[in-house]
Amino acid sequence: MSEERITEQIYMTPTPVRIWHWLNALGIVTLCVTGIQIRFPEYANIFGTYKAAIKLHDVAGITVSISFLLWIFYYLFVARSLVKLYIPNVDDIKRGLFSQAFFYFFYYFLGQKNPHIATPDNKFNAIQKISYLLIMFLFLPLVIVSGLLLMNIAPLRGWIIAIGGIKFLVDAHYLIACSFFAFLCVHIYMATLGHTPFSHLRQMWTGWEETEPHPRWR
Amino acid sequence: MKRFLTILSAALLPPLMALSADAANDCLTCHSQKTIMNRGIHLYIDPLKYGLTTHARIGCVSCHNNITKRHPKDKVRPSRAQCKDCHAAVYAEYSHSMHGKYAGCTDCHTPHTVKPLLAVSGRDINIQCAKCHQYASTVKSHSKWLPQATLHIDALPCITCHTGSQNYVISMYMVKKVSGSALGGVALAGFEDLLPFLSTGAKVGTLIDLDGDGAISLSELKKFNTSGKYSSIALLGTMMPEVVTHNFDILDNRRDCTFCHASGPNAQQASALLFPEPDGTYSRMAVEKGAILDILYGTPDFYMTGFTRSNTLSIIGAVIAFGGLLVPILHGTLRFFTRNRRKEL
Repeated sequence: MSEERITEQIYMTPTPVRIWHWLNALGIVTLCVTGIQIRFPEYANIFGTYKAAIKLHDVAGITVSISFLLWIFYYLFVARSLVKLYIPNVDDIKRGLFSQAFFYFFYYFLGQKNPHIATPDNKFNAIQKISYLLIMFLFLPLVIVSGLLLMNIAPLRGWIIAIGGIKFLVDAHYLIACSFFAFLCVHIYMATLGHTPFSHLRQMWTGWEETEPHPRWR
Repeated sequence: MKRFLTILSAALLPPLMALSADAANDCLTCHSQKTIMNRGIHLYIDPLKYGLTTHARIGCVSCHNNITKRHPKDKVRPSRAQCKDCHAAVYAEYSHSMHGKYAGCTDCHTPHTVKPLLAVSGRDINIQCAKCHQYASTVKSHSKWLPQATLHIDALPCITCHTGSQNYVISMYMVKKVSGSALGGVALAGFEDLLPFLSTGAKVGTLIDLDGDGAISLSELKKFNTSGKYSSIALLGTMMPEVVTHNFDILDNRRDCTFCHASGPNAQQASALLFPEPDGTYSRMAVEKGAILDILYGTPDFYMTGFTRSNTLSIIGAVIAFGGLLVPILHGTLRFFTRNRRKEL
């Protein structure tokens, strides 16, 4: 008698997080594209005028900054799951990090299963936790602060000089932005590594994730 | 004949100028006394400021040519030369400009204190404009279309946009931190602010021009910018027009941000440093080409978006971005070739 295998629908991502995610995604893509025109105006004229690119960059930057604050507020005071979801535990660092890396770069190609099974309380594997921790609590705050300073150079000139000058600020902003682009490439690609190429994407849109087929008794 | 006159005037000019200077000394005997202001404030001539003008070289009587030896007892009101007598081309250009009917030459340039363009800072130039164009209203009118209007108006001389010059030179000038400012404000540094850093009798240029060759190399600039000794002083930059025309128009092409914010790292690398002198003027020293494009320490406090970006940094950023792209490319390729293994799941 063959074993019956089923799939389940799990509500993984609540609505506020999904709204934040897509707002943030739109904002960061806009920032990357306008940023290219701002840095390389003689090669890229995507939005007609330079001024249009600057204004759009500013609006997208403020949108991402506000949505970041709302994201922190939601996870800290409403869902109260920030630490549980995003801070790697000892086991994540000792074991999860390596087993996940081996899976992505070796066992995946041999057809083995993902060692991490996502649940609403443990959504992210060790690599995701560390990546998101760096992105959300180091890179994003740095790019937001440097961006806000660059939007207010005249009134904050003294502060800008004190932290190393406007070039340091611009260079940091640009390099972090490039890192965001690199992250975006990896993030979008990794999102296709689910049960089906679109299962993670659908989950981030509807909130519901379809699990991999498993025996009924699991 | 013309050639003969040219040679003659060239030969006569220095002695005439010397005579004029002597005559000026005679005039200043009375007109440099502050007590003369009791008869009219305009009669006082500050000898220090006047001495720095180009007009001092041609002397008082060149413009006030009806002065006699009996002045002022002769009760003859001194004549005044018209600016156009010497500055005909500038006068013609200015009088046809939109400013021509609202302000005369002396509304902006006091002939007894006017300094040559190269001896003033960008901020000083704007003082002339601010006599009519109040700072707040200027910021307000520019804010309607110009992003970061306050930054542009603070950082640039008005003539950078409102004259027809096509080429520019980056001028760096020194600012000092203003203590007690909540947001960490800065103000133009004068000679007295630099005195604590100077050894007795040393010229202000020696603060950066360490080898005394009259030019600033990139390594000298980096040394100054990274030295903790000068942490209260910073170098800001501004774009100065190479040629100043007197049309002072509203030029539509300046509303296109890419007029200044494009053309990339291979264009317009000429820069100079302005040192404040004890007499209130500025001395100018050329800076090695490439300083404004240095990643960090050439001009740490001067950057123009799009225009002064560093090529090296652009490449480092591109490598980071391409590194991100490599993951899906390499992983995706292997994923494609091993797809059959995952079908068994």
